[in-house]
Amino acid sequence: MSALALTAPRRAPLMRRFASQEAMLAVAVIGLAVIVGFVNPRFLSTNNLADILLGNAYVAVAAVGMSMVIVSGNIDISVGALIGVLATVSGSLAVAGYPIGLAWGAPLLLGVAVMALQGAVVAYVGIPSIVVTLGMLSILKGGLISVTGGRWITDLPDNFHLADIELIGVVPMPVAIMVVATGLAAAWMRWWPGGRAIYATGGNAEAARLSGVSPKRTIVLVFALHGFFAGVAALLFATQLRVIQSTAPAGLELKIITAAVVGGVSILGGAGTVIGATLAAILIAEITSALVFVNISPYWTDAVQGALILATVIADILRRRRRLRVA
Amino acid sequence: MKKLLLATAALAALALGSAGARAAQWDGGDDLPTNPLACGTGANPAPAAKAYDGGQPTNPANKAGKEITVVDVPKLIGIGYFNATSKGIQDAAKELGSVKASTDGPTEAKIDEQIKFIDNYITRGVDGILFAANDPVAIAPVLKKALGKGIHVVGYDANSTPDAREWFVNQAQFNGIAKAMVDNMAKEIGEDSAFAIVTSTFTTPNQARWIAEMHAYADKCHPKLQWLETVEAQEDNVLSFNQATTLINKHGDKLKGLFGMTSVATPASAEAVTKAKLCGKVAVVGLATPNAMKPYVNTGCVKSVVLWNPVDLGYAAAEVLRAVVDGKLKPGATEVEAGKLGKLQVVNGSEILLGAPYIFDKENIGKFDF
Amino acid sequence: MRWLLIRHEIILLAILVVALIGLGFFNDRFLTLDNLLNQGRLMTEIGLIALPMTFVIITGGIDLSVGAIVGLCAILLGYSWKNWGFPLPVAVVFALGVGTLAGAVNGLVITRLKAPPLIVTIATLALYRGLAEGISKAHSVRGYPESFYWLGQGEALGVPTQLWVLGACMLVAGVALDRTSFGRTLYAMGSNEMAARFSALSVDRTKLIVYALSGLMSGLSAYVLVSRVTTTRSDMGLGYELDVVAAVVLGGASIFGGSGSIWGTAIGLAMIQLLKNGLALTGVKGDATIVVIGVVLIASVLIASSLERRRE
Repeated sequence: MSALALTAPRRAPLMRRFASQEAMLAVAVIGLAVIVGFVNPRFLSTNNLADILLGNAYVAVAAVGMSMVIVSGNIDISVGALIGVLATVSGSLAVAGYPIGLAWGAPLLLGVAVMALQGAVVAYVGIPSIVVTLGMLSILKGGLISVTGGRWITDLPDNFHLADIELIGVVPMPVAIMVVATGLAAAWMRWWPGGRAIYATGGNAEAARLSGVSPKRTIVLVFALHGFFAGVAALLFATQLRVIQSTAPAGLELKIITAAVVGGVSILGGAGTVIGATLAAILIAEITSALVFVNISPYWTDAVQGALILATVIADILRRRRRLRVA
Repeated sequence: MKKLLLATAALAALALGSAGARAAQWDGGDDLPTNPLACGTGANPAPAAKAYDGGQPTNPANKAGKEITVVDVPKLIGIGYFNATSKGIQDAAKELGSVKASTDGPTEAKIDEQIKFIDNYITRGVDGILFAANDPVAIAPVLKKALGKGIHVVGYDANSTPDAREWFVNQAQFNGIAKAMVDNMAKEIGEDSAFAIVTSTFTTPNQARWIAEMHAYADKCHPKLQWLETVEAQEDNVLSFNQATTLINKHGDKLKGLFGMTSVATPASAEAVTKAKLCGKVAVVGLATPNAMKPYVNTGCVKSVVLWNPVDLGYAAAEVLRAVVDGKLKPGATEVEAGKLGKLQVVNGSEILLGAPYIFDKENIGKFDF
Repeated sequence: MRWLLIRHEIILLAILVVALIGLGFFNDRFLTLDNLLNQGRLMTEIGLIALPMTFVIITGGIDLSVGAIVGLCAILLGYSWKNWGFPLPVAVVFALGVGTLAGAVNGLVITRLKAPPLIVTIATLALYRGLAEGISKAHSVRGYPESFYWLGQGEALGVPTQLWVLGACMLVAGVALDRTSFGRTLYAMGSNEMAARFSALSVDRTKLIVYALSGLMSGLSAYVLVSRVTTTRSDMGLGYELDVVAAVVLGGASIFGGSGSIWGTAIGLAMIQLLKNGLALTGVKGDATIVVIGVVLIASVLIASSLERRRE
């Protein structure tokens, strides 16, 4: 058995572990919906459930990319600012009259480029990812305001709006993108050697290198992918409204990291799934909506949300510890 | 077992949270008294004349007629509203010819950052500071320091404590805005309907005061109008959209109107109504800059946008500062000459009133570009 | 190990001096005593928190909830004084106590559950900030007596009061790190926690202490902040965690643990504050300034680590 197979998660316990992690989140998502439905049945209307998914699909997609970065043993706090930049780029191109394909494609390429650059600095120059991305956060945030002068983008052409497109007549594009992105990423990390290498790199970089995986290349690849997902998230973010804010949305990177973390990725690297991240993003969005529906005093919504996140995190850790002890 | 514990904990949290359920009354606004105007077009009692209560700079350099450097430090940079006020300031500077003005400020509405910006400009040595405060009390020490160094200080949009600045250009009285908003809403949705409010944060002083005044005015003149709830959505477009959508889904047919309290919340609320295909059934009334609202006003989804002209506001602030430096505006004055805006009234001791709120609608919104 | 650190700090100090001279050249108001003391006053809030954060990062952990703890302590300081009638000194002690408790909760969850600090403190960040908002119901507390403002706005012997406090805390923290067994334990934990445990070092207790300290200093920072701006707001301290981490990391602490020093943190702190100030005085606008800070952060760490590596 190759060393790679040893460091990558094994099959049978893997399935059980995945099943348990996603299961807990899925149970939470459904359970919460049921509970809130009792308090206020309007929560369960298709409109509302659809809106929860639609409005937060971009967080889920970004969390997919972020999970991969975290699994590889790194972190990225510049993603919020990057999404702001990419959204503005996309909108500006559309307003300037360039073909829609370019307006949608440019942010993806730019996202990949910027993130790959950061990945390269982390991998080849050896600066910790938290430093590189902290610096990049400032550069992107300040740069965005410098260039746009704070002007919002307001005359977007009608065909810019991704969210209006519906697939198979019923599934809105953002939700479809979220599902596809998650599925592809999960499959890639599970079955492709390139994907499994991420777990290896995160778990034990030295062992990974000895077994023929190049941690440096893997890290650049992971960041590049993360940039791609950030680009997709930026598109979803930009195409939701008829105006694009030209500032980086405050607290977005924290939201994304929280979703990835609640989704079960281990910050120590080497374990976790992207499906969990998507479910977690959905759960957090659901909680935000639920708090309005059950009439929780608006002053306490953040506290309740924080408590629920802490509870979820603790539960996940306890579950993981129990598993380790048993295995 | 642990999962069960977790589920119970979550339930308990929710239950506890519900115990802190919404108060029936808006209790924001820092407990300052409200002063609703007369209903309809009734005459309002003239506000009692108040003695000048502003601060004064210590030994300011005499720059009457000479060129002055002025810095404008708004709550934050990067939103349409303050881009507009900045433009107004630049317009005045160009017209006056003797004012060099620049706008600089934090990228997030944090009072701590704003204080540091002002502090740096004090050290640099500017002749005048224009500001829109993130917090009226917290900004006072640094403004007083500026006054102490002989720098002229004039505020606009968001006030500080009166003794920390010489004059404050008020776009409109809090109760005047409240009256305009509520009257417009009542006109659109009728007297016997329910509305909700989307604001930025509960800690933003202006927003909190407006909402308090809106409640007071609605209680007085539109008693059958029902307030459902108020949600906050920071200065985040997409979050505002999500919150507005949640409100629509939660209250369903009951919700007839949405108030947007900021230039971020109002377009987002309009978008939410548009997406939910409820244009015409749910009214959106709010404060916003025209550019962001053009798509919605032009489709008829939003009938009216209440604001004042922020370009005029910035313009007036710059004119007032120039007048102060030139000695043309002294404590105790009752009016000031403000360039193309004509004569502006002094109210409340040291506030200068821009005028009545301006209503943007389908007819006139195309004329503006901010 | 220690001489390597000293080298990093010397390099950093050199960069700082070059930057100071450069900025001073462009602007004559920059290198005045008045301005420098004022900057010292303004950097105290971040500086106080950067001290225990250095400890935390040396152990290989991190605490992202510090900003939220500042907000919570600020609110409770005002709230307990105004609404519960505590005499002001008691309110201050109460706020400090709450900060310590909040930090201790972080420490408990991290040590008892063996949870990664990043995750725990992200969660408590949301919780504490939410608590601040909920308790205060978005109201501010104002109207403190004049004597209260001496800490934040006053001077002693010509130097801002809070700068004395920062200096004293820095001295204590530096000595604790360099000369006590507590400090040695921190480095050991950061270098190899497993080995530290096997050497019978009280790893868990030390961790609990550093996180509690982090909370305590956040409370102290809140006290200084409220005294400086004469009001309390539930959004106080927003974003502090990133500023603090930037200062510590710039100062040479490795995020993986095992290295770092108070002196380095002090230099990092000064560098960021003085750069922002110097650039602003030179006429660089706010948005361009943050870009420069970002570049400087990456560049400094780059230079310092490549110089170190070349020596090896």
